[in-house]
Amino acid sequence: MAKLLDRQRYKCALGAMQTVQAIERALPVLNSGPGCAQKLSDSTGSSGYFSPNIFPCTSINEKDVVFGGVKKLDSTIANSLKVIDADMYVVLTGCIPEIVGDDTGEVVSRFNDADKPVIYAPTAGFKGNNYKGHEQVIDAIIDQYLTPSDDKQDGLINIFADVPYQDLFWLGNIRELERLIKELGLTPNTIFGYRRGIDNINKIPHAKYNLLVSPWVGINNMKKMEKKLGIPYLHYKTLPIGATETSRFLRTVGEFAGVSNEKVESVIKEHEDYYYYLIERYADLFLENRVINKQFSVVADAHYALAITRFLVNDLGLVPAKQFITDDTPKNMRDDIVKEFNKLNYGLAADVSFETDTYKIHEAIREHDYHGYPLILGGYYEKELTEELKGNFLNISWPVQDKVVFDSFYAGYAGGIRLIEDIYTVAVSRFN
Amino acid sequence: MAYKIAVGSLDGINVDLKFGEVSEFLIYEITDEIRLIEKRKVNSVKADNTNTNSTNNSDNTNTNSTNESNNTNNACTNGSSHNRCCGNGNGCGSQSIIPGVTLIEDCRCVVCKKIGFQAQKQFEKKAITVFDVDTSIDDAITKITAYYAKIDSRKHSHNSI
Repeated sequence: MAKLLDRQRYKCALGAMQTVQAIERALPVLNSGPGCAQKLSDSTGSSGYFSPNIFPCTSINEKDVVFGGVKKLDSTIANSLKVIDADMYVVLTGCIPEIVGDDTGEVVSRFNDADKPVIYAPTAGFKGNNYKGHEQVIDAIIDQYLTPSDDKQDGLINIFADVPYQDLFWLGNIRELERLIKELGLTPNTIFGYRRGIDNINKIPHAKYNLLVSPWVGINNMKKMEKKLGIPYLHYKTLPIGATETSRFLRTVGEFAGVSNEKVESVIKEHEDYYYYLIERYADLFLENRVINKQFSVVADAHYALAITRFLVNDLGLVPAKQFITDDTPKNMRDDIVKEFNKLNYGLAADVSFETDTYKIHEAIREHDYHGYPLILGGYYEKELTEELKGNFLNISWPVQDKVVFDSFYAGYAGGIRLIEDIYTVAVSRFN
Repeated sequence: MAYKIAVGSLDGINVDLKFGEVSEFLIYEITDEIRLIEKRKVNSVKADNTNTNSTNNSDNTNTNSTNESNNTNNACTNGSSHNRCCGNGNGCGSQSIIPGVTLIEDCRCVVCKKIGFQAQKQFEKKAITVFDVDTSIDDAITKITAYYAKIDSRKHSHNSI
């Protein structure tokens, strides 16, 4: 029986072209039908030196389906190398060449001797969504570009967190994580965003540690790097938002990387003092119980659903209603993620639903008794629903239509304060 | 399902002609087997035969689509008689392309060594697939028929559900 999926919150694996785009001066070369890049591109913050409208593409058509598109791919790569000045060329395959059976790997291997690295990632849509595609791109870099190094730099730690562009706050978040790690006396290394690029990719094998801040996306990359490059990894499942989680995060990382206890605690103290100074000043707002909602739901990928739920419970003392994870989390990872939702302060546990169908999510929200009007943090699809339920709505996950985000962030102590600001801005504007 | 394939070839072995060079198309009919059924001459005198078609089109057995194509054909030839209608090198291709396109419009696809942009557009309008490939007729027809067989069997299985 064919089923309909109502407004899913992810794209096909080829959407990982945005992961490539987030690496400065890395160019996606698409082996796909014409129009794929156009459809997959988000119009927010994706223009620049390379943008989805100018990504080289083989524009596979019916002829290539019948006779094979290998020749076209070969010439597209060769000419991209000639015409476009990039640091790394990442060939991404769409559905068509993989269904037809074109050997993209073989064609790409012809360019092993090119001046610039050319690698490829199989990102056919039927293999999974763009979260999976993101992993495939990182895998491709590890497999085809990086080589092990014995020259380890003390304190160098690679950080991987959000999926660029899919997560609106990817740039701000990764920078804030960098700042926090730096304060511990470690040297962070990230590959996405301004002035990172190929130089930082080259640094990856020299790192002592890998840090993954994500419930499940990227865990396979960590395992691969541990095996191939001999870099041990720390898997911190929750993006730290607010004081409770960020302090726990710093202690965990500190212990893992052998940072002295005093150092960690002094960093935490300084941040927490300021954080609680701010909270204290607005205590009257928090205590005015007519302002904020009693119960909340988050509709987002596992990354944000987990992070925000823990923040709202642990730091703000709100009560979780059902939480919805929309990223089609692999089944073998789900139990671990549910466990994280059950480890909340005050002995609370949040009910979690792995659901990709927006219709079903909305039905569940409608049926739930929020003991008043609900607080919904989700994608733009929830805006109309929340209005209908006379609740408060904040757009924090894809798709994002009602805000522009350059480099602001929700990670860390400062990010927690930003999120409180955003939520209470929505809440108080209701009365004015 | 029976259908026809038009091939541009001089030696009858390789797809060795560009679309504009073809003086006679080899028409293959595909049923359960593949047969060369016809060599169809391309009339080099451009608008003559199409004009005679369109004069008696009202009570002819022509389908609507061929009527339309004849009309556009006339419009183009009219236009080009006093001026090149589209302004680029070949006009809208009315001079040489349209007769060739109409000539094989009963075929499902056309196979030539090269087919120009304007001709491709004209075929696209008629939902005729263009394969510009440099290979042997045998290879081309084998691959194309295998492809259509897959598509057609899929369509049938969908209908039966």
